[in-house]
Amino acid sequence: MSINTLDDVEFGENLPAFQPDTSLANVKRFAVAAGWNTPRFTDHEAARREGLPGALVPGIMSQGFLSAMIHRWAPSAEVRLVDTIFRAPCVVDETYHINGVVTDIDEEAGEVEIDLTVTNDAQETRVFGTAKVLIQGTD
Amino acid sequence: MSDETGPIDVEALRDKFLNVVFDEYELTLDAEKLADYATACGETAAKFTDPQDPDFQAPPTIGSSFQPKVRYPEGFPTFRGLGMDAGKAVAPDKPMRPGVPITVRTHMHDIYTKTGRSGRMVFFVNRMEFSNSGEILGTADTSVVIREKPQT
Repeated sequence: MSINTLDDVEFGENLPAFQPDTSLANVKRFAVAAGWNTPRFTDHEAARREGLPGALVPGIMSQGFLSAMIHRWAPSAEVRLVDTIFRAPCVVDETYHINGVVTDIDEEAGEVEIDLTVTNDAQETRVFGTAKVLIQGTD
Repeated sequence: MSDETGPIDVEALRDKFLNVVFDEYELTLDAEKLADYATACGETAAKFTDPQDPDFQAPPTIGSSFQPKVRYPEGFPTFRGLGMDAGKAVAPDKPMRPGVPITVRTHMHDIYTKTGRSGRMVFFVNRMEFSNSGEILGTADTSVVIREKPQT
């Protein structure tokens, strides 16, 4: 269900998860746009030479995935904070799941707090954090 | 930059370096790159993906992608410990739009410690603040943690 007003938000509800595009082509598109176009994000072999498991999805791209999930759930939501900890790397061309759960609703301020995670197919958390978003009340 | 070998004197560092702007520059965002950034992240709303949309703006996490030209204040010591990226927090306040000059100022916002079984960890938080003509558009914090090597 798409969220239009604060009344639509339920404490404890899961935001619809999505699988982001972590293909090399998409990560390169992001890296170029962000000004982070370095081989560790865009070239598996170069990344492995640095001792990494492969080219990495930039942490800031994971933040972008999390923000996109919030907008898909609540198109009018105004993101006011995305606070993330990068616990383990996300590797390009691997499958990840972008997840969120509502953990607080401040009806007076119109603010919703969301716990965020990026997990892999083994259900390991690679990124976690918190978002605060403003959602308008009922007119 | 000096090389510290003993325990980190957090209070002395806080007194000397907190809240002093050590990097400042101006940038202007490009509409096509912003649209690419948002689309690659999976945004679907036109205000993030279509430069022709009347409300077109940068995705809210864009501030995390900005980087200071200088990473630490002049005179800030280097430490013999294991340094790691401890996270990023971005707090947009107003939309950032293409073609609008944005001033990026960086200061050291916090230095604090946590002590665990493996010893003491020292966290350094750099805050970038974004503004246009004095109007604050948001902030982005980058945290680095140093795990101190045990003293022998």
